[in-house]
Amino acid sequence: MSNELLTAAFLVWLAASLISLTGRGLILVRVLLFSGSAAAIVAAILALPEGTPPVTLPTRLAGAAVSFRIAPDGLWLLGFGLVPASLACWLATPARQGRAGWLFGAAMSLIGALGVFGIRDGAGFLIAYEIMSFGGATMILSEKLSADAGRPVLFMLGLLEVGAIALVVAVLLLAVAGHSFAFEAYGRAADNLATTTLAAVGLLLVIGFGAKLGLLPFYEWFPAAYGAGSGASGALISGVMLNAAYYCLSRGLLEWGPGQNAEIAAALGILVVAVAVLSAVLTALYAFQQDDWRTLLSFSSAENAAIAVAMLGAALIFRGHGMPDLAGLAWTVSLLHLGGHALAKGGLFLTADGVYRATGGYVISQTNLLRRSSWMFGLGALFAAMSLSAMPPQAGFVSEWYMFETFFQGFRLDTLSSRLVMALAGAGLALTVAIAFATYVKAFGLGLLGRSSRDFVPIQRSYGLAVSVLGFGVLALAVGMPIWLDSLQAAVSAEFGTQAASNMHDGLLLVPLTAKFAFISPTMLVVVMPLLSIVPVLLVMTNRRFAVRRVRVWYGGFDYDPSRASTTALTFSNALRTFYSFIYRPTEETTREANGAHYFVRRLVFSHDVAPIFGPYLFAPAIRTVIVLANKLKALQSGHLNFYLGLIGALLIIILALVLY
Amino acid sequence: MTAKEIKSLHPAVLKETAENLIASGGRMQMAYAWYPQPHRIELRYVASVGAQAPFAIWRCDANEPIPSLANTCPLLSWYEREITDLFGLKFLDQPQPGRLVLHEGVSLRQAPFDPDYPADLPLCVEPALQVVPELGGSDADVQLLPFGPVRADVFESAEFLFFYVGEAILHYQPRLFFKHRGMEKRFEGLEPARAVVLAERVSGIGSVAHALAYCQAVEAASNCIVPARARFLRVLLAEMERLYNHLHYFGHLCHTTTLKVAEAEGKLLEEQVKQLNTRLTGSRFLRSILAVGGLRRDLSPTSWLGTELASLQDRFLRYAEHMENTASHLDRLITTGKLDRRLAFDQGATGPVERASGIDRDLRRDHPYAAYTELPPMVATRENGDAHARAQVRMAEVNASIMLIQRVLDLLPDGAIHAVWKVAPGSEGLGWTESPRGTLFYAVHFDHHGKLARVKIKSPSFSNWRVFPYTVHDSNMMDYAINEASFGLTIAGCDR
Amino acid sequence: MPQWTLLGLLQGKQTAPWPLAKGTDGQEDFLGMPRYRPELCDNECKACADICPTKAITIRASSGASNRLDIDYGRCIVCQLCTEVCPTGAMTTSSDWAFGARSREDLIWKSGSTKNPATGGEMRRAFRRSLHIRHVDAGSCNGCESELQALNNPFYNLHRLGIFFTASPRFADLLLVTGPVTHAMLGPLRATYEAMAEPRWVLAVGTCAVSGGIAEGGYASGHGLSGVIPVDLYLPGCPPNPAAIIEALLMFLDRVPQRVNGGRLVE
Repeated sequence: MSNELLTAAFLVWLAASLISLTGRGLILVRVLLFSGSAAAIVAAILALPEGTPPVTLPTRLAGAAVSFRIAPDGLWLLGFGLVPASLACWLATPARQGRAGWLFGAAMSLIGALGVFGIRDGAGFLIAYEIMSFGGATMILSEKLSADAGRPVLFMLGLLEVGAIALVVAVLLLAVAGHSFAFEAYGRAADNLATTTLAAVGLLLVIGFGAKLGLLPFYEWFPAAYGAGSGASGALISGVMLNAAYYCLSRGLLEWGPGQNAEIAAALGILVVAVAVLSAVLTALYAFQQDDWRTLLSFSSAENAAIAVAMLGAALIFRGHGMPDLAGLAWTVSLLHLGGHALAKGGLFLTADGVYRATGGYVISQTNLLRRSSWMFGLGALFAAMSLSAMPPQAGFVSEWYMFETFFQGFRLDTLSSRLVMALAGAGLALTVAIAFATYVKAFGLGLLGRSSRDFVPIQRSYGLAVSVLGFGVLALAVGMPIWLDSLQAAVSAEFGTQAASNMHDGLLLVPLTAKFAFISPTMLVVVMPLLSIVPVLLVMTNRRFAVRRVRVWYGGFDYDPSRASTTALTFSNALRTFYSFIYRPTEETTREANGAHYFVRRLVFSHDVAPIFGPYLFAPAIRTVIVLANKLKALQSGHLNFYLGLIGALLIIILALVLY
Repeated sequence: MTAKEIKSLHPAVLKETAENLIASGGRMQMAYAWYPQPHRIELRYVASVGAQAPFAIWRCDANEPIPSLANTCPLLSWYEREITDLFGLKFLDQPQPGRLVLHEGVSLRQAPFDPDYPADLPLCVEPALQVVPELGGSDADVQLLPFGPVRADVFESAEFLFFYVGEAILHYQPRLFFKHRGMEKRFEGLEPARAVVLAERVSGIGSVAHALAYCQAVEAASNCIVPARARFLRVLLAEMERLYNHLHYFGHLCHTTTLKVAEAEGKLLEEQVKQLNTRLTGSRFLRSILAVGGLRRDLSPTSWLGTELASLQDRFLRYAEHMENTASHLDRLITTGKLDRRLAFDQGATGPVERASGIDRDLRRDHPYAAYTELPPMVATRENGDAHARAQVRMAEVNASIMLIQRVLDLLPDGAIHAVWKVAPGSEGLGWTESPRGTLFYAVHFDHHGKLARVKIKSPSFSNWRVFPYTVHDSNMMDYAINEASFGLTIAGCDR
Repeated sequence: MPQWTLLGLLQGKQTAPWPLAKGTDGQEDFLGMPRYRPELCDNECKACADICPTKAITIRASSGASNRLDIDYGRCIVCQLCTEVCPTGAMTTSSDWAFGARSREDLIWKSGSTKNPATGGEMRRAFRRSLHIRHVDAGSCNGCESELQALNNPFYNLHRLGIFFTASPRFADLLLVTGPVTHAMLGPLRATYEAMAEPRWVLAVGTCAVSGGIAEGGYASGHGLSGVIPVDLYLPGCPPNPAAIIEALLMFLDRVPQRVNGGRLVE
């Protein structure tokens, strides 16, 4: 049944992509994309917890049959990624032009993602992966939301291709060793490869998928690319595509060899945790400094991906030390985290689009939108923001609580280096979570709650509905956690051979494998919290001695425009910018124009920025090198026929020489 | 002051004369307007040309457009704007036109100082926000953070607008004159003897300085010679006023650096001096004692005040030593609110503020009045121009004041405390004091009945408020309160 | 830092025992409101009314032997000029400063009035040991502020009485106003009152806030709080000393009785 549904989804998406190319019937395209996604979600639900039955695709690649099967963890990630994707496709880009192109790109990225999740053949997988990246680039390029969208997209594609090359090399190494492109061979390949080669394959996989997940230094393509597109694009890239990349990395490291060797697993795990935690801290810090909904959310996506990757690294370390239970715990946490993240982040990306439609821009500033829009929208956005800032009882809180509980288990490890890295990772992630909290206080507090004297139209009803579906989905994920955990058990068993997922809950209580350490229960919390509020609410209701009198905001005796007088995005984040100035290296410049003597200031021009870490030292020199090389090699394209003939002649001579010797 | 000391200038040569004054080391003190006759506005500029030399006074008929001197002498900008607000006289090329004393929301059909302005006709004031410099660049990221006019704690009313970017202050613009009571206009038509109580209430904590400057202005106009005992007692009163003001200053400064015991100690010492004031005059603010021609009644401080002040001085010295040895306190003062010498001069900083920026001026020594010729004060200066320097100058002044009072008590002559005087109709006079906060001027003009026709008050805070914002631009919010406290500003005197 | 702790400890308790116990209130030798003794008043003389800068003293049309002056202590700025010009000693200096009154009429001199003034009412009982004050300077000369700031010096130590100044009118129970209410401050003053939660009260501190005082009228000033916001307690004085302010606050809270009645202090 599930395979039929997935086939239907594929065909519907394909049809949608073809229709969108005509530029007409775009509503039909949106319906098709939505219904295809819905079908795939239903397939994921039906096929969990076992995964889809394997099928052989009616095509051959490199002379070999291609099999298709989505494992349960893949289904989990695909399903959660598709929920925001389906809504984003339904709402489509808010850009005025380029909708057809955007829908085509969306269809391509969905088809690509489906292939990435399901195709169990190296060559096919790489093709699907490239289609997915192509779809993402097409979406952003067609929107034309930024005057200069080409450059960031090119930068994104450039970095993704760096990753893709790493992947090609890794896949080739594994395929050669396993004598087949089929994934089944890659696990066996571990036995044939030297330890160093195996470690190199692990590294190549981290680089390859890290480019898409936004591990350092690759996260630096995020703000520009996301910032050139719409929230709907962001919802797709940060949802289903990010999940696909994580799924591939997890599969590669755990199943394809590197993770099969205990020694390499432990060492690679330490590296992965270190890289991921550093990425999380840096991206959280940069997310906090963003004044644009999309760039803020994009850095936050990189941060959350890094958290999941850190859990994957922890799983590797535990596996390397022969602790499958803890490895299973760590790995399950990463899946929970990405599931909740896809919903919450999708909700906020669609919120960003709603803000764009209401105000005409993506800037985080006082808009009064929370007050003017429906309460369903407000609750949905609040739940999503709460989840991303790890506030109980939301899904983000559950997964990040599990995350810390997992790192606390680091003391069970027997080598100093792994114990140390687990402890430091816990500290680093604590900083990350704290900054993320402030980030979403800023985004929600300023961008939605903030008052303004300007009168914006409320958030559109359709956006309100979509955001509330996703927001309540986040809550449902947290509340139903005991049930969802059981659905992951089969995946954990297959990967680690333990009952870790089932052991993560004790009835309605969520526990880190045993109830001896700690427990939480969002399920009970949603019942108890309203009950607890009854007493104060009653006290307020019964003790009303004076009528409610509404007065203006107190500004010291005058009425000011609250949107000018209240906290701005920069005011909120500048203290941290000053404190972490060694990371941000902020620039602030104020020029004063005066009438006559410089004392009489007429106009102030203020600008500020934070400097990226890798851009100026890594990417800019690389780009410069490419340009210099291109200039040097320009001679090859001089356009003189004689020169080309000369070149051909030289080639012929070389070939002749090669043949003769 | 006689007519020949007053130089009449044509508007065309005004700028050149001002430039010459600055070039020759002189300094503009104030500018004001008055109506010698109905419908004829006359401008007055008062400048100092050097220590011990009489003040230069320029007269300029405002029948034709007057060029603004603000670019030549930036401190005059506020005086010009005040004249525009109150007299309706506009200046050509004023670099910062806009309301000052009367706010943006005041609708004016007639200038309040116009002789035809009906007495007791209230101004019509609509709430309106102040005009601030335009913002460019990432302007949406700048928070226009308002404080006041009703501020936290017990403070005088003023509105402060910060161009704020999270701790950092890009630009700061205060709007004062919420407390403008039209005090100068209240003098008009009064008998000169009866206006002393009014002068005492222009700035409550500067009652002696104001009343004394006023009395001396009238005495200058009437060529009255004040008896020696009254002059000595005037010094005593002025220095007692300096004492309680400076002690309050330290209490408040330590409040801003959150030094609780030091705050309590400073305020307690202030209270002790106020109680000594009560014992001396019956008034905690030394009011109801000064009169034109001398004093209203005799004082007898010799038997007891010396010992009280000696113990106060011991206590203060220990207090000051503690403050100077507290690292947390000094850390927050040193380099905070740096006012360089050039800025202090250009914008007319005065009193301890300018002396802390290396400008050695003190009217008590440079233009002595009362008994300061016989009792020259020690004038302390510092070069750093930061909050610490301002505190240190005041610290030295507390000691100098106590010593000066002890000398008054030693040398206090016997004799009359009041001289008879009479104002010649149509005369005028200039009086000044070095108040605890700096130079204070009273210019008085009499009509043909010997009644007051115009009184211009230049209070020290009017000058220092003009300077203060320039030390706040590009600083930190954390330092703001400390910086403000280190200036020791008052608003009542500035607003009048 | 330890040297400050030591200094504080060595200094000992500096707070006046008054008003909780008998002892000094720090106002010895303070010249308060001039006291009127009608029996000494000369029928033809009007020196005091002439000299009074705020017209607090007016001559009644009916010039009976006693009670021929109207003295409004709500207008008195304590300048002592009337006591200096009075040839007969009918106006004399005094140390009367506890002039807080619940009604404006109690500040006007009347002969033979001994009615016991009313108390503040049931509602204030809850605030007796915890009162929060928002101060608004509506154009004072800074004399009143200086004395209000003195309230929290160690000598008066207002906190021990459970009375606090608060930053925002939102948290305030009592609005304490000084100054004659300049036109520029009228709007902010009303906004402050508007921003306060109920129940809220108003205390006019200083002659300016009571009647406008020396800065009444003209082009820039009003006439005190009358007609601006409802006033619950008047405290004239120029400025009232800190003890007078404390006494007025305690009186507002019904912790001490009102002492002024018919323009004179009742012991």
